Amino acid sequence: MDNPYIRLTQEFNQGRLRAILASGQAVVLYRLAIMSKDGDWILREETEALTHVIATLARHGARYRYGAPLDLRWLVHGWSSHLEFQEGGLRLRCDFVTRPPRVSPASLRTLWEAPVQKEAPIVSLPVLAELKKTNREKDYAVIGELARQMEDPRLQALYSRSARDLVRLAQDHPDAVREAAVERPLLSRAEQGREEIERLLDEERRALIRKNEDRLDRYVNAATRWGAEWTRVSKEIAGLPLAEAHEIMATRAAEHLPREP
Amino acid sequence: MSERRDEFLSDEDLDLKNLTALELETHWRLWLTQAQGTNDADRASYSHGVFERDPSV
Repeated sequence: MDNPYIRLTQEFNQGRLRAILASGQAVVLYRLAIMSKDGDWILREETEALTHVIATLARHGARYRYGAPLDLRWLVHGWSSHLEFQEGGLRLRCDFVTRPPRVSPASLRTLWEAPVQKEAPIVSLPVLAELKKTNREKDYAVIGELARQMEDPRLQALYSRSARDLVRLAQDHPDAVREAAVERPLLSRAEQGREEIERLLDEERRALIRKNEDRLDRYVNAATRWGAEWTRVSKEIAGLPLAEAHEIMATRAAEHLPREP
Repeated sequence: MSERRDEFLSDEDLDLKNLTALELETHWRLWLTQAQGTNDADRASYSHGVFERDPSV
């Protein structure tokens, strides 16, 4: 497939698995919607992986955008790194994390042990559903369709956004729904019917949106000094080879960007 | 009459499942090319990660 983000994923993974395609491009490869012009990856939390990714992006002439350096000192605390370059008239943006939000350490381990292989390694349906619990309303529609692709009724119960589907699941798979209710309390009310579940789904979505907003606020507030410094740093690294720019970025971030948000 | 179900995405989105790999690629490339038209408008913003806006833009 001549998708530049898939080609980049192959380059990142030359020799060993280092990068798993996530979010918008994974949604495309699950053939659910075409909804993102950027690429984002979960990277293996190892210096070798980051070094390889930086070298790959350097060959494409990438530059840093405002963000954390592609450096484990920040990435292990959930920060994200952002780079971009132009190719064939397209602006290609590359976003990276090693600790995706809401993904448990066990799920992350499974991701590396057995990634889903489409045109490129991509996150599993449940991990993608967790990534989509953002503060954007449209992402909850995607979760609704992702749940319909899941085969395990317990996973369907954990992620479905359809009251009709949940009522039917509770009738057809009561044990799976009971088991899932430990993690998703609204399922324990499934017998109260569609309208009650619809109300609870709305409440749940609003609570998830607020929770993600609070999470982002912590990072945005922690980056205040880095943001104030960024105009100067971005001028300092402009036009430099990426490896050199990266060293400066990491040095400056060590002075202005806290590792823990 | 068929039973109604909750709908999340458009028929056009859901029809992606019926495309061949080549058709999906062509459709995506066309979409991405058209989407470049908003590059100026979104040059400061982020669609992933923990940063929301580039303060230098």
